Amino acid sequence: MIRRFIVVLAVALLALGHGPRALAQDAGTGLQALLQVEADLVANASRQTVQQVLDRLIASDLPEVPGFLTRWAAREVYQRQSDGLFVYVADPDADPLVLVDIVTGAEIGTATSREVAQLRPNRGVQTVIASALVAFQLGAEDPAERLAALAAIDNAPEESHLALLRDLLATESDPDVIELAEVLLPKLVIAFDTDDADRVAAIESLAGNVSLVARATLNPLLAVTSGVGVALPEVGNLARVLEPGSDIDEVAAYAMLVEAGLAPARISRAEQRDILAAHVVEGRVGGVPVAQLDTDAARDRAYAALVAEGLALPAPTEADVTAALDAHVFYEVYREASVAVTDAARDTLEGIDMRVGAYRVLDLSLDGLSLASIYFLAAIGLAITFGVMGVINMAHGEFIMIGAYTGYVVQTIVPDYTLSIAIAIPLAFAVTFAGGVAMERLVIRWLYHRPLETLLATFGISIALQQIVRQIFGTQARPLTPPDWLAGSVAINDVVSISSIRIAIFLLGVIFFVLLWLVLNRTRLGLEVRAVTQNPAMAASMGINPDRINMLTFGLGSGIAGIAGVAIGLFAQVVPDLGSNYIVQSFMTVVVGGVGNIFGTLIGAGMIGGLQKFIEWLNPTNTLAAQTYMILFVILFIQFRPRGIIALRGRAAGD
Amino acid sequence: MERSIFARNPSVPIFIGVLTLLALGVTVMSEAYGTGAISVSFTKVLGMTLCLCLAALAMDLVWGYCGILSLGHFAFFGLGGYGIGMWLMTARTEDVVRANLMGGVIPPTEAEVSDATAAQIFSVVGATDWPWMWAASGSLVLSLLLVVLVPGVLALVFGWLAFRSRVTGVYLSILTQAMTLALSLYLFQNDTGLRGNNGLSGLQNIPGLDTVGQDRISIWFFWASAAALGLAYVGAVWLVSGKFGNIIRGIRDDEQRVRFLGYRVEAYKLFVFTLSGVICGIAGALYYPQAGIVNPDEIAPIASIYLAVWVAIGGRGRLYGAVIGAAAVSLLSTYFTGGRAPDIDLGIYTIEWVDWWPVLLGLGFVLVTLFAPKGLGGLVDYIVRKDRA
Repeated sequence: MIRRFIVVLAVALLALGHGPRALAQDAGTGLQALLQVEADLVANASRQTVQQVLDRLIASDLPEVPGFLTRWAAREVYQRQSDGLFVYVADPDADPLVLVDIVTGAEIGTATSREVAQLRPNRGVQTVIASALVAFQLGAEDPAERLAALAAIDNAPEESHLALLRDLLATESDPDVIELAEVLLPKLVIAFDTDDADRVAAIESLAGNVSLVARATLNPLLAVTSGVGVALPEVGNLARVLEPGSDIDEVAAYAMLVEAGLAPARISRAEQRDILAAHVVEGRVGGVPVAQLDTDAARDRAYAALVAEGLALPAPTEADVTAALDAHVFYEVYREASVAVTDAARDTLEGIDMRVGAYRVLDLSLDGLSLASIYFLAAIGLAITFGVMGVINMAHGEFIMIGAYTGYVVQTIVPDYTLSIAIAIPLAFAVTFAGGVAMERLVIRWLYHRPLETLLATFGISIALQQIVRQIFGTQARPLTPPDWLAGSVAINDVVSISSIRIAIFLLGVIFFVLLWLVLNRTRLGLEVRAVTQNPAMAASMGINPDRINMLTFGLGSGIAGIAGVAIGLFAQVVPDLGSNYIVQSFMTVVVGGVGNIFGTLIGAGMIGGLQKFIEWLNPTNTLAAQTYMILFVILFIQFRPRGIIALRGRAAGD
Repeated sequence: MERSIFARNPSVPIFIGVLTLLALGVTVMSEAYGTGAISVSFTKVLGMTLCLCLAALAMDLVWGYCGILSLGHFAFFGLGGYGIGMWLMTARTEDVVRANLMGGVIPPTEAEVSDATAAQIFSVVGATDWPWMWAASGSLVLSLLLVVLVPGVLALVFGWLAFRSRVTGVYLSILTQAMTLALSLYLFQNDTGLRGNNGLSGLQNIPGLDTVGQDRISIWFFWASAAALGLAYVGAVWLVSGKFGNIIRGIRDDEQRVRFLGYRVEAYKLFVFTLSGVICGIAGALYYPQAGIVNPDEIAPIASIYLAVWVAIGGRGRLYGAVIGAAAVSLLSTYFTGGRAPDIDLGIYTIEWVDWWPVLLGLGFVLVTLFAPKGLGGLVDYIVRKDRA
């Protein structure tokens, strides 16, 4: 409130101070006269020259200046061709244009669009104008305008802004403005303040701040230039001494010497060859026949002869190079002159880096968890068909793929994404459940005693299904779009963020796990499934129909693969070979976890996903390598625990 | 001894006879030495098919006789191709580069030729230096050694690890599949030194044979493939018909019992696995100069599964079965996917073989598995028994 009062007072004072003078002048004087002094610089402003104009305008303290600058930056100022007068227009789309005086606001005639030229300051000029306007805008009534001014400072900070920002913080009451100003203040203090103590304080105020802004503010302070000389420089903020061979490689160090004019350039083999080629005389170079110049030794001899004749520069020998490197010191000097500032910046950055590292570990763990839940989803159906029933279903990946395509088809019919996903999940389960039951009835039940041949038969089904889907939907990727509420991501800070869809997949994995565990361990069906898988004959004699149970179990496993397909399709591309990308990993997940229980699959997925992300973290540029090493690790792991992490014992282990 | 093998295995003279007749027939009809009824490209297809038969033979040894269903044998096949491919590509590129540099004012040094060759070969992956694994690529003898040693050592190490910890059955299958997947992912990287997904190309140009046309080279490779297949067949028959063969068949049928009889099961399995890996490597080294290019896609898990399927369709546990299966399925696939087969017009829908062949093939696997577990080889049993009756 007080602030606003002060602003009003200031405006009133301004009007009192300048009003009479402005009124006393003609329309052609005042601001207009000022502009006419450098009319050409105004009309054709460039980033380099505009500051000069702005300084003059601001120094004039004329009340129309802020308004004019705003409209200039917005490309709303025109210049009349006939007399060079700067004007506004009432309506830029009207024809003819109604011209408006830039000082009085009075209409001063009309002109066609050919008789006036619009001033079109480019983005660079606009930025400079905006930053000059900051002083006026910070005093504005509307907090939104003050926020805009702060944004302009952020874009193009200037030394003058520092004082403005401090004044603002002394009087500001709007919490949003204060927040942004307090973020900006250290940045400006560090960049422009002349008092090193203030700058150090500002640097230290950023301690523990992991935001990108803080890091971008501190990093330039530690920028270095490297130099070379016979001794270390007397002046300057020395960062470190570079030891050739360890801190800087010798070739680069020698190149620095050459560049500084402290040593002669080396002659590379290619340069040597070119020089020799340029001095062929009657089939000889320096007395050596050209045909013999196919060894380095012969070329060196010829080159030495050229040097002796004064036709080429002597090349430094290895000994010369070593001597030159030993005779000079290589160092890096901070561009920032103050030792206190660089020390503070280095310490603060170290602290920040440590914290960033800790957050990275957290981020990595989240990534690993999310990858693990994808593997878990892909593998959990297999954990039932392969893990519990012992059937190797190579077409499992195709059930995942069919689930994803079911989702796509539903989306083409039901346009609402949320609703369509809600329909797609049970529908995908139904479709793949039916497919699984059909496959079990027609093929797999004849092969229960020949597990390796199940593998071949289901592989046949897998390539047939893939090709049929390719026939129907084509090879191009089909979209399966997540609803809007799943599209974003949850960011904790600038380091840690996770997309909503991955959280959803994680939750889905948890739900699946709990449901499946309940079904297998707490229901009649689960009891019968476990009985049949452990000992079909005994189970049959207890009144369980093993045929029916096998059929339902296989259907359940396939149905879950279908639902996993919908989830995977939401972030991966829905293509006919979607499933085959997951099949080997899924088998590995089940085998690593331990066949025969879904708890093992959970741990297996956690291990494989976590491990893969961990290896990626060691070598972030190469995800293929991470997969390779992860598989190698799995192969080795199986050597030591052939039955997986959770191995069944006793009769349940079968064999 | 020699007589007794032939006497006990009537398939050997028949097999060698058929193979010789095929080689003679192809030669007589080839463009280089005969009427020209068989084109150069088809000669290559036939030669490549013989190499695939050789790989299937190796697969049958390890699966049909020893009961190890390996789903990673194409890794060895591909490695053999990479082994010979490195030499082919280096020698060929070096010739071209040397000829180029000779055009300059000053003759090139050996180091310059070598650097320029490396730059030429590895520019596609943005490198200029020789990777360490190309160290042997300058010498044909060393490269041929690589063809045998690299697949052999890989099979030995992998097999030793796997068999030692008694990984058997489907677990072993999944593990071998993981192995070939890991290898293909590794080769897909650009910085591993084998040109990433570009693979090695231009392998059909044999260094030193620039003046010999592809028509003759294709026939020579065909002969070499046929000879390798014939030799391997006789060797494999000899191996499985003696006591050794009885033991590995015993391992296939009941590993525990053979172990309790005092045999070192792991050693036998390791020997068969390594031997078949080496045969696959040799087959690959003969195959890829005819194909002209080898890349990591070739090693993808699906290729190895196909190999197992060929053996299953031909009939496991009979060596000629594997050869028949591989030849039949791969030639039919070439026929139907090569656009040679006439499409069937049903009026409302035209069946295009290129599209429908994989479906037919897949369903064929299912039917063979369900109704003809002995594969095409079972047909031979049927005929032979009828003859005797």
